[in-house]
Amino acid sequence: MPETKVTTVVSENRDRDQTLVVVFLRGGADGLNLVAPVGDDDYFGARPTIGISSRSAVMLDDFFGLNPLMVDLAPLYKEGIMSVVHCVGSEDQTRSHFEAQDMMDHGGTVAGGWLGRYLLATQPADGQRSPLSAVAIGSRLPENLRGAPSAAAMRSIKDFSLGENTDKVRDLLGQLYAASPTETLRTSGRSSVAVLKRIAELTSAQYAASNGASYEDDEFSSGMREIAQLIKGRVGLEAAAIDLNGWDSHLTQPAVMDPEIRRLNAGLSAFCKDLGKAMERTTVVVMTEFGRRVRENSALGTDHGRGSVMFVLGGGHRGGTIHAQWPGLNAESLVGPGDLPVLTNYRNVLTPLLKKISPDVDLSAVFPEFALDPLPLFG
Amino acid sequence: MGGAGASVGCSDSPFGFDTPAFLQFGSTDKPLAPFSAPDHSEICAVSHCLNRLTFGAVPGDYDRVSALHADKDQAADAFIKQQLDPESIDDTLAERATQRFEYLQHTPGDLYNFTIDGLLDEMLSFTVIRATKSKRQLQEVMVHFWTDHFNIDSSKGDCRWLTAAHDRDVIRRHAMGSFPELLKATAKSPAMLWYLDGRVNTKTKNDDKPNENYARELLELHTLGVNGGYTQTDVMEAARALTGWGVKDGLFGRGEPEFQKKHHDHGEKKILGHTIPAGAGHDDMDRLLDIVSLHPSTANYIATKLCARFIDDAPPTAAVTAVSKEFLASGGDIRKTLLALFQTNAFREQRGNKFKRPFHYIVSALRTTGGTTDSKEPLLKFLHRMGHAPFHYPTPDGYPEEATPWLSTIPWRWNFAIRYARNELKGTQCDSKALERLASVGGIEKAGLMPWLLGRLATADELEAWHACPDGDRLALLLGSPAFQLF
Repeated sequence: MPETKVTTVVSENRDRDQTLVVVFLRGGADGLNLVAPVGDDDYFGARPTIGISSRSAVMLDDFFGLNPLMVDLAPLYKEGIMSVVHCVGSEDQTRSHFEAQDMMDHGGTVAGGWLGRYLLATQPADGQRSPLSAVAIGSRLPENLRGAPSAAAMRSIKDFSLGENTDKVRDLLGQLYAASPTETLRTSGRSSVAVLKRIAELTSAQYAASNGASYEDDEFSSGMREIAQLIKGRVGLEAAAIDLNGWDSHLTQPAVMDPEIRRLNAGLSAFCKDLGKAMERTTVVVMTEFGRRVRENSALGTDHGRGSVMFVLGGGHRGGTIHAQWPGLNAESLVGPGDLPVLTNYRNVLTPLLKKISPDVDLSAVFPEFALDPLPLFG
Repeated sequence: MGGAGASVGCSDSPFGFDTPAFLQFGSTDKPLAPFSAPDHSEICAVSHCLNRLTFGAVPGDYDRVSALHADKDQAADAFIKQQLDPESIDDTLAERATQRFEYLQHTPGDLYNFTIDGLLDEMLSFTVIRATKSKRQLQEVMVHFWTDHFNIDSSKGDCRWLTAAHDRDVIRRHAMGSFPELLKATAKSPAMLWYLDGRVNTKTKNDDKPNENYARELLELHTLGVNGGYTQTDVMEAARALTGWGVKDGLFGRGEPEFQKKHHDHGEKKILGHTIPAGAGHDDMDRLLDIVSLHPSTANYIATKLCARFIDDAPPTAAVTAVSKEFLASGGDIRKTLLALFQTNAFREQRGNKFKRPFHYIVSALRTTGGTTDSKEPLLKFLHRMGHAPFHYPTPDGYPEEATPWLSTIPWRWNFAIRYARNELKGTQCDSKALERLASVGGIEKAGLMPWLLGRLATADELEAWHACPDGDRLALLLGSPAFQLF
């Protein structure tokens, strides 16, 4: 469905067309093997077996190389659509999946999820916001969306549809609202009919991705496809959350991680290709609760660590950059039992993105009790 | 309104969910009999009180309340009197329907043994079923009012477990009691001590700064209100008075409140012109709460919020003044304060002008149609989608009462109405055909299902839509209609 044909917006007084997509790699993704510091000899010393060799890495600059399974993301980096933040993570030192994910989803020991608080803090005064302003792919809302003014967990865009043979009752409801003596109900009735008609259009035909993009069949790619469809369908989507699980690579890391990396690569690259120019109004951020121990263990896996990577794509940010002050991998540079330190807090990656999308947002309401120092992602 | 003995048709199951749907109407305790619907073109006093004091009338309620007196206004008064005395209402069936919620039996310390999602799902199910089944409807409405007023988000720290105890031991216990007692219970509630950081408000060294979080919200949101006339100094002094309160950890008494003398600031405090003398220790909290709980600003603030719930989003000053006056005169007696509200002209005159919040909408749909629900995911997901799942609001101001923030939930209400009326929600059913039949005394448009759900006779537009609507979607049309969003 070419985007140019879609002209109407869902709510009359609202013209928010920016979308933030949050991809959470649950289980602690190994940043050192996603974006490998192949220019650091200590890397190969610590990972003689599972390290990404300089020969196979897809070099981003003369020091960092992408995992070869992420080859389709390299052009996005080169074209300035994607950037990387390395040695990034949270202040949580428990190295517990539950604790670290919880702290990151909430933004500390704070009530509500950070994305939920962001949506609450940007609630329009007239209440006219799309009912599809926030979605999560899956059966349950992730904690980062907790407290959103409205948010729907969905598997497919069909979940929003009123069901079979409902055009008549929908239009009759529209008529009743149009006849209401209350102005706000008349307006809301009109936007409700508009959004439901749009969903009916979107679900009536098989979705065709644009620009020759093709999505794999796995859950992550399917989820990214549903998000792309909502964005291109202009239903007022402002935030989408999607998880890619299974990154806990204690043993035989390549066997655990390679399929996940393939899924990430395929899903993200198809999404960006499909959206094309719409990536300018779409920001994707990829995050994980913590990275892995620098040194591989005797089972050719890695244990829970601290610093990892984040990826930022689109949204008009300045890509083609790796934000990292590389600390080195010798014993003195590492923290705890031999972990990459956290030199950039994840909040400082998220806040410039939120500020760009909603310049008036009160960031201290989104991330309270933290001295913010946003990363210069927009040059 | 009979008691447990009249539960004809209930199976051995204490929950009764395996009996046929049409025998299980809402909170009625016997198979549904034909019942009549309002027959005025405007909302009458009986319908109005059922709208405002309950989460929706169940089939037969209109007859039961109308039968209290020949005059509609006096019948409504008698209903108000009943609802203000919840202990006089037999609620055995609601008790029985919620027996299966095991967490209700556990001490705060034992609650920590539950899984987080498991406990939260139970709490949500319990809340929906209780609101749907209880005959002490005004009490349920007030539980929701105070839950928002003393909001806790169950996602913060140990609130994941302690919110269950807060709901049971603090909010539900005091919802129709005394405001000063309720306030004291919330201040010592372990969930509150977690949620607003009271547990880390300590003074052990001279240069320790108190954590002001709870003290500020106590004045701003729980008592005086943001323009209630307190200063930053009052906030700091209140925070000093509250130092030392925390939540027990470890093997014994986990999750209970505790006061640690060594963490308390023992100096003198001056708050809102009152002095709390040095050395009162543990008693500082109650002295502080005595100063604020019956402060004139508190009376005005609570009265304004109550009037916003029961009268109008922007309530008239005269009503607020009358309610505020009774709040003070009665020493914060919640029942007397509510009675004063229900006696204002504004309460009697402003009908059908309030917009149901999503929880109210879902529960009223279940109640008015005599539906049954297991209150599991297929139903609860609508509360999540509409952003109104209990115990999920992040900030301490609680879910908003006014209509505006909820307007964008209308497509989900239609979605719910259609799926519910078509019996497509697993675990949640209604027998729309039986309902139509039983509520059709005198013809379906005139005194049947339409006026039953709308609370008055249908308008010409509504009748036209009803006739144009395909069979099978008429109930959905009514549940989705603008009139059913209002109360």
